[in-house]
Amino acid sequence: MNTHVNSDFTPDALVIGAGIAGLQSALDLADQGLQVLLVERQPSIGGHMIALSKVYPTLDCASCITTPKMSAAAHHPNITILTNTEVEGIETRDEVHHVRLLQKPTYVNFDKCIGCRLCEYACDTEYPDPFEEGLGSVKAIAVPFTNAIPQKAVLNAEVCGTCGSCARVCPTGAIEYDQQPRRLMIRTDAVIVASGFNLNALTVKPQYNAQRSRNIISPLMLERLLAPHGPYGRVLRPSDGKMPSSIAFVQCAGSRDESIGVSYCSRVCCMYAIKQAMLLSGALPLADITIYYMDIRAFGKGYEQFYQNAKAMGINFVRGKVARINPVEDGDLSLHVETTEDAENPLQERRHDLVVLAQGMIPGWQPSATTPVTCSANGFVAAPTLTAPTATTAPGIFVAGTAAGPKDIVDTIAEAGAAAMQASQYLYQKRSAILVG
Amino acid sequence: MSTNDKLNSQEHSQEDEFPCEERGCDEEARTWQKAAHAQLRGNPTEEAGAGAPLRIGIYICRCGGNISDVVDVERVAETVRLIPGVTTAKVHTFVCSDPGQHMISNDILQENLDRVVVASCTPFLHEQTFRGAVARGGMNPYLYEHVNIREQASWAHKHDPEGATAKAIRMIAGAVGKLRFAQPLEQIKLPNHRRALVIGGGIAGMKAAADLAARGIKVMLVETAQKLGGKLNQWGRVYPSERPAAVLVAELAERIQQDPNVEVLLGANVTEVSGFIGNFKVAIELQGSSTSTPSRKDATVGAIIMATGFRPYVPRDGEFLYRAEPCVLTMPEFIRFFQGLSGGAKQIIFNNRSIRRIAFLHCVGSRQLDGVHEPGADGRLNTYCSRTCCTTILQQALAVRERFPGVEVLDFHQDIRTYGSGEENYYIEASKAGVLFFRYDGSEPPTVQPTSSSRIKEGALTVAVKDVLTWGQELEVPVDMVVLGTGMVAGQIGDLIDQIKLATGEDGFLQEVHPKLRPVEVAVNGVLLAGTAQGPMNIAETLAAAGAAAAKAASMFAREDVELNPYVAQVDPTRCCGEAECVTQCSYEGALKIVEMQLDDEVIRRAEVNAGLCVGCGACVAVCPHRAIDLNGWRLDQYEAMVDGIAADLPSTACASELVNIH
Repeated sequence: MNTHVNSDFTPDALVIGAGIAGLQSALDLADQGLQVLLVERQPSIGGHMIALSKVYPTLDCASCITTPKMSAAAHHPNITILTNTEVEGIETRDEVHHVRLLQKPTYVNFDKCIGCRLCEYACDTEYPDPFEEGLGSVKAIAVPFTNAIPQKAVLNAEVCGTCGSCARVCPTGAIEYDQQPRRLMIRTDAVIVASGFNLNALTVKPQYNAQRSRNIISPLMLERLLAPHGPYGRVLRPSDGKMPSSIAFVQCAGSRDESIGVSYCSRVCCMYAIKQAMLLSGALPLADITIYYMDIRAFGKGYEQFYQNAKAMGINFVRGKVARINPVEDGDLSLHVETTEDAENPLQERRHDLVVLAQGMIPGWQPSATTPVTCSANGFVAAPTLTAPTATTAPGIFVAGTAAGPKDIVDTIAEAGAAAMQASQYLYQKRSAILVG
Repeated sequence: MSTNDKLNSQEHSQEDEFPCEERGCDEEARTWQKAAHAQLRGNPTEEAGAGAPLRIGIYICRCGGNISDVVDVERVAETVRLIPGVTTAKVHTFVCSDPGQHMISNDILQENLDRVVVASCTPFLHEQTFRGAVARGGMNPYLYEHVNIREQASWAHKHDPEGATAKAIRMIAGAVGKLRFAQPLEQIKLPNHRRALVIGGGIAGMKAAADLAARGIKVMLVETAQKLGGKLNQWGRVYPSERPAAVLVAELAERIQQDPNVEVLLGANVTEVSGFIGNFKVAIELQGSSTSTPSRKDATVGAIIMATGFRPYVPRDGEFLYRAEPCVLTMPEFIRFFQGLSGGAKQIIFNNRSIRRIAFLHCVGSRQLDGVHEPGADGRLNTYCSRTCCTTILQQALAVRERFPGVEVLDFHQDIRTYGSGEENYYIEASKAGVLFFRYDGSEPPTVQPTSSSRIKEGALTVAVKDVLTWGQELEVPVDMVVLGTGMVAGQIGDLIDQIKLATGEDGFLQEVHPKLRPVEVAVNGVLLAGTAQGPMNIAETLAAAGAAAAKAASMFAREDVELNPYVAQVDPTRCCGEAECVTQCSYEGALKIVEMQLDDEVIRRAEVNAGLCVGCGACVAVCPHRAIDLNGWRLDQYEAMVDGIAADLPSTACASELVNIH
């Protein structure tokens, strides 16, 4: 894997973000013979997808789909990868994009680190593991996760006590406590923005009281709980480690809601809730599982059948908007819900011992302040062209995946291919013009 | 000393060779070892004096837990390590991950492995991944065997861990047997015709053609109609931009018509397709027109993009009174009618009737349920969601309310699926504009009946629904017009499906290899999918899918040659007598033929394989009376060794651990 980059490196294209969209775009460009610099702000490539359990509608394990793409990108002769690197801004002059990069210190010399993890074993300081959504803990110096790329240790300076144990055990002398941030300016002809999404806060709706109970969890936490190699190896609720017996999925808990400024649909929550419900019913065969929803949006290929299968499996689908969630005794939660099912008793209180809030998808990065790219009112990168959905307002800069709006993996991968095609024809046209001129 | 060295040096001594006997191990273990040793002796590599005995590496994947939750992978490793010739057997959480792959390539270099087995998921998913890892270790990638112990062991025998473990061991033993006789193979390289055929001139086909042409790749675009644009030619404004569909069509059409790399054939049909990736031979029939006579055109192309689109669902006669009542329209019919209203119209007049109330019905021909809906003429239920109808209905409902505020609009739905960018706004705006929503359960769809004479003034048709929003009240609403939100069904592409050997899903649409790993590819290499030929999509999604297909084609054309798997038949000319049994049995036109060749003074006849056309089915192997033809990578001796490996008795674990100590 090539990770050596200086400012004199001028790749044909620079891809921002190495989640599934960025990986696919980079691969589709590199396969066409173009040199790509793939930039990721996290210590590993793989994005959100590598942390998922299984993916709908095929129920393939997410790792089985993501790792080969990660590996293909890492081994591709035309792809260079910079992790721990942020894009500070882009200036376009004479149709050349000058991309300012900030390589954050990892305090580990990647040329020397062999990924042996001796530092990790020697380290005494632990903090909540971001890869496990805070459900497990990780050492202050560690390889980010089992199938991370690169397999290099990264030190978290915010929690490190600089005791020196890692440096003492490192067989190659790779630990560098005095590493400094490094700034780079990369010139390139084409950029693909694949900066992905974040979820809005669990506490975005105060009436759901997520700050008052650890048993109100995010869907990404549940992904980790369901992953075969997850933090506990099974599904346990965070507050007391009890196996949940009655789980509620509260849909549209951060989308389709003008009161929190997210009026759009996040597009994936219905399907992942159904998938998680199915996986839960496998992991906890005796548990009751209820999905509270407004509309079930199972629109993709094979999705409706997936939904019908879930209904046949006995998962409860309750059409009703959850108005309020209150913590009650034993760590349980009481849901106030108005349903359309019982005419006599439309307002109900229902008790569950674990609640999953379908948070809304919001942009993972705001490029409009520091780049020529403009965003639409909802904050996602605007794609104004009718016939090229991956073009942005800036010539030579393209967008793929959830950076342009909520999207599932299948649609993201298609769009990533389209963005790569758009970028490659832009480069071809530009260079043919130069050759002719 | 490796197992093999030991075996070779001890062959004279029965006791030493089968140490189990001495130590009182069970009979099973002995026979298993005997069989394995017999295989080893038959190893052609050694017979040929190729030197060192085999060094096989076996990698067993936990697949996170998908495999190891059922199969005792440690025991599998411990057991298969004992098979003669096996140098190493390791377990990893995700062999497909980078560290997993690195382990393989590293072991090849460090331990001089010359054969590799990975026991994991399906070869479909990761055979290529591991071939790559093996190649990076400097080994011939065809000395690799993939064993699927996930689908075939852990998932199939979830409730029998012991059985699943035993099966996994046997499967690996089979692969090891097959590998003993494996020979290094090279990919077949054939010239790549750098031109794409795009079938279908709708937006998907136009977009794919425009993208490829702009990348400098020649494209032949074939459209049945006399005009580009496909279904979009019948559309009004497109959501969410609300720009006229005609603008979109014109923009794309202009791009391809101005690009010298695109040859557009209108009024044309692809009638014949043969060949393979990089070298497809196609025949196109051009319909005659006033200025030309019907003609035929032949071409060679490297890739084929299927942009054959969808058909709008056409309700059965009488379905919601369609074709029985004039005021029941499908969505395309309504859009044409509504667009055709004159700009100054103050009211909607249809069929001499003033339309004051319109009902829009969702999911007509989509989300059909067994026992609720009648299957179509092809016996098929459309169980899928057509993805675009909800937003289209709300767009049209809103347009009616905005243009004719006096007309009431009723919406009958199961779920409102305005999922896409800007689509939810149609729902919000339609609600604000006073569209009245009714909701039904999928198992109790609304019905349409003629209105009883007493209420006929309120509307000629009555929609009856059990409305979920009012806790199941049974409502009857007279309306003047019913618009059926008809969905998408698979396009009819005739015998192209058979000619190209395309797979279709249960929904009738063309089936991709894998929705995430290879979303625009089909099982036939070099054939790609663009747009609604694959399944319902909206315009933005169609354009993205077409771009993705173009990207795949462009990647393919970036290489000088096309590379094909070497699993093709090979003739042993010393055994072949030119009897042509194989040619008679071969179902692939041109894959096998008899050629005459000069041998000394004699002209002899021998079978010859066209590697590009041979699919490696093996029909020829089965009929050859002289065993003169065999399949590279799947030779008969490999099959025999594989079966022997599977059938050999397994040692018990107790015995196995002893064997570890001995070797």
